[in-house]
Amino acid sequence: MIKDVSIGRYYQADSVLHRLDPRVKVFLFIVYMVTVFLADTAIAMATSFAVILYLTFLSRIPVLEVLKSVRPIVFIMIFIFILNLFTNRAGQTLWSWGFLVITDDGLKRAVLLAFRLFLLILVTGLLLSLTTTPLKLADALESLGSPLKVIHVPVNEMAMTISIALRFIPTLVEETDKIMKAQSSRGAEYDTGNIFQRAKGYVTVLVPLFVSAFKRAEELATAMDARCYRGGVGKTKLHPLRMKGSDWLWMVLLTATAFLPVLVDLLWKIK
Amino acid sequence: MADEIKELGNFKEAVQAEDLIFSYSTNTGSDVLAVDHVSFSIARGEYIAVLGRNGSGKSTLAKLINLLEYPDDGKIKVFELDAADEENFWTIRSHCGMVFQNPDNQIVGTTVEEDVAFGPENLSVPLPELAQRVSKALGYVGLLEKADKQPSSLSGGQKQKLAIAGVLAMQPEILILDESTSMLDPKARDEFLQLVSRMREDKKISVIHITHDMHEAFLADRVIVLERGQVRLCDTPSEVFSQVETIRRLGLELPKWAELLWEVATICNVKVDKSAFTSEEKAIEEICSIVKNKKADLEKIDLPKKPPLSDKVVLRVSGLSHSYEKKETKAISDIHFDVRKGEILAVIGHSGSGKTTLISHLNGILRPLEGQVEVLDEESGEYLSTAKNAEIKKIRRHVGLLFQYPEHQLFEETVEKDIMFGPKKMGFSEERCKQLLQESIPLVGLSEDVLGRSPFELSGGQKRRVAFAGILAMDPDVLVLDEPAAGLDPVGQNEIFGYIQTLKEKGKSIILVSHDMDKAAKIADRILVLMKGEQVFFGTPRELFSEKTDFLRMRLDRPLLMNTMLKLKKEFPYADEFEFDCHRAAVSLLFGNEEVSPS
Repeated sequence: MIKDVSIGRYYQADSVLHRLDPRVKVFLFIVYMVTVFLADTAIAMATSFAVILYLTFLSRIPVLEVLKSVRPIVFIMIFIFILNLFTNRAGQTLWSWGFLVITDDGLKRAVLLAFRLFLLILVTGLLLSLTTTPLKLADALESLGSPLKVIHVPVNEMAMTISIALRFIPTLVEETDKIMKAQSSRGAEYDTGNIFQRAKGYVTVLVPLFVSAFKRAEELATAMDARCYRGGVGKTKLHPLRMKGSDWLWMVLLTATAFLPVLVDLLWKIK
Repeated sequence: MADEIKELGNFKEAVQAEDLIFSYSTNTGSDVLAVDHVSFSIARGEYIAVLGRNGSGKSTLAKLINLLEYPDDGKIKVFELDAADEENFWTIRSHCGMVFQNPDNQIVGTTVEEDVAFGPENLSVPLPELAQRVSKALGYVGLLEKADKQPSSLSGGQKQKLAIAGVLAMQPEILILDESTSMLDPKARDEFLQLVSRMREDKKISVIHITHDMHEAFLADRVIVLERGQVRLCDTPSEVFSQVETIRRLGLELPKWAELLWEVATICNVKVDKSAFTSEEKAIEEICSIVKNKKADLEKIDLPKKPPLSDKVVLRVSGLSHSYEKKETKAISDIHFDVRKGEILAVIGHSGSGKTTLISHLNGILRPLEGQVEVLDEESGEYLSTAKNAEIKKIRRHVGLLFQYPEHQLFEETVEKDIMFGPKKMGFSEERCKQLLQESIPLVGLSEDVLGRSPFELSGGQKRRVAFAGILAMDPDVLVLDEPAAGLDPVGQNEIFGYIQTLKEKGKSIILVSHDMDKAAKIADRILVLMKGEQVFFGTPRELFSEKTDFLRMRLDRPLLMNTMLKLKKEFPYADEFEFDCHRAAVSLLFGNEEVSPS
């Protein structure tokens, strides 16, 4: 049960998007976010959607898997849809019942905003969580953040922290499982009683878990010392991020693609 | 940093320590003298074993060598470089590799190869040399095909090999092993030790091995024995172990053959020259001569006979199989055994043989997918089944389960509250809880004054006892103990096995998971052997190691005492090689057993 916990939702596949330098993906992610926000007409939205379908095709991840990443925010999408549907009073009234009024403008706006959120989630999934391992992402942020070192932001240390946290997630998950089994043997129950009783039950897990996490941290620090760790100073890297020709090419191509909706929209309006 | 690391010259002495003193302050504010006027030297390429009880200052001494700690006083030179000189800091540390006890707490990388790269990366080793060093080190320890895997997918033995690879990639001159084998099973331990000795041959590095295992110590060139921060003995293994009285006083174990000689000599009241304790051959010679020349009027010792097993079955497992989700192979399959009242049943098997899965079924932590686990309810005389939800709570009261390293599960503010957590959850009255608490603490050698203290300020061994008491306080009829002595020093281990013996005498049934074949054979009434999830043997220790059982196929080793006894049997055919206790074995050598008496 608890062993299935995973961080992010990386989907293993061999595709252009998986191989792309993670820094390019972070850059593209920002570009796509901006262009999705710029799209505010039906035609622009439709083009955006087509572009994202193209990204899905590039990622070689089954469409269903990609759609799954939307699941956690379906509720928020519905909420935004309803809020906009009933609060926007401009335009022609389509339907009314007491104080509830739906106008054509409101309907358009509601659909637009909900759909925009939907697209944003897809873009995040395709460019970041589904195609990039958390470690690569940390590498990218370390590299992109390196100018901040000038103002004494400990970028290397932050990246090291993230990577160690990632490394220890499976270990701590396993440990949680072990502690729960041990406490169950002493009569602890985690699946009965009301919410307060259950929360209280978890104290028997959390205290030992924290104690052991601190002990691990201490031992790990000693082990890192013994292996000559001293922050980012002079540290080399086994797999340094290097931009290849294909990375540059895809960056230009996919940036251009990102602006397609804006262009199509513009052409449509001129006509 | 590269410019701060100097090339090592052609040094002869790896470590020279003179009058080292080191103390640290504890949480309570008092200073503890961990290393007290210690002097020693280690030659290049030498293999040193460091022995001593927990808390005798072994780890601290190791940390003084690779400059994780600095001595308060005294001089230490590493590679003939003065450690006090700051200029030598990175040169010394970068050439000292260290492998710690807990495999999980020394892996930094998110993948195997990144972990190996961590050290050389810190040493500013540039590409492509960095990549070469990583793949070479991984190849050397045999983990190359795991390069891009997550460390959490490795077994304990593989993780320690990974740690060695991480050290190797830094091209060390000294390798420090801080109880690195103590959490490994026998097979993984052998492989690890083989790897270390291969490294020593290939790379001529010095090894400093902190251990509790006397047979490991015998592999070393020299042994240093510490007690309360002071060097008590420092000599070749055979010299050190010939100081039998000192060794025993320091709380260390003797090799089995030495212990047997000691027992034989004590019974016959003969003084043995210490040269007899230097090797197994000499010890066997000496035993032969003592037995042959024993006085005719030597009073015969009658050993208490092992009482027969009770007929009362307290726990019954039939046709039990289990497989985890998504995995087609079964974790355990078709297990059949029973446990009698007052019996000790040892469960033996390598890592991954399904031991944990099996014991998790015994109190219903895991429910049977196939087959049954039934527990006797002595009050009603009926059997409860773990398949029934309504009976689980009752079963947990009857079957107490103590997982490995149980000290990691303590959570309450005081020892008293922690021990009483179980009995309270079982719904005992306040009065009964108090009574159970009072009964359980002496059984594990705890005194009343720890009750008010926080469990987190106790030593590791004390915490283990608290966790043990927490299970005993539920007054179970059956105790399932998973490696209850793991990680303790020999004295601590013997104490735990003593408590188990006492519990047996009180009529408790005990299921004991253990790696230690000598201890298991000695203490158990019956043994269950698991191999890849299948039950390959269930019977008495005598049957297991008799000729008709193919225990080698089960990849088990004979108890070490039995190996010695088999050699002695050529001389004394009446001796019983199936006595797994040194005292009983000695008696059988001197007097034979009832069936075959010496004539």
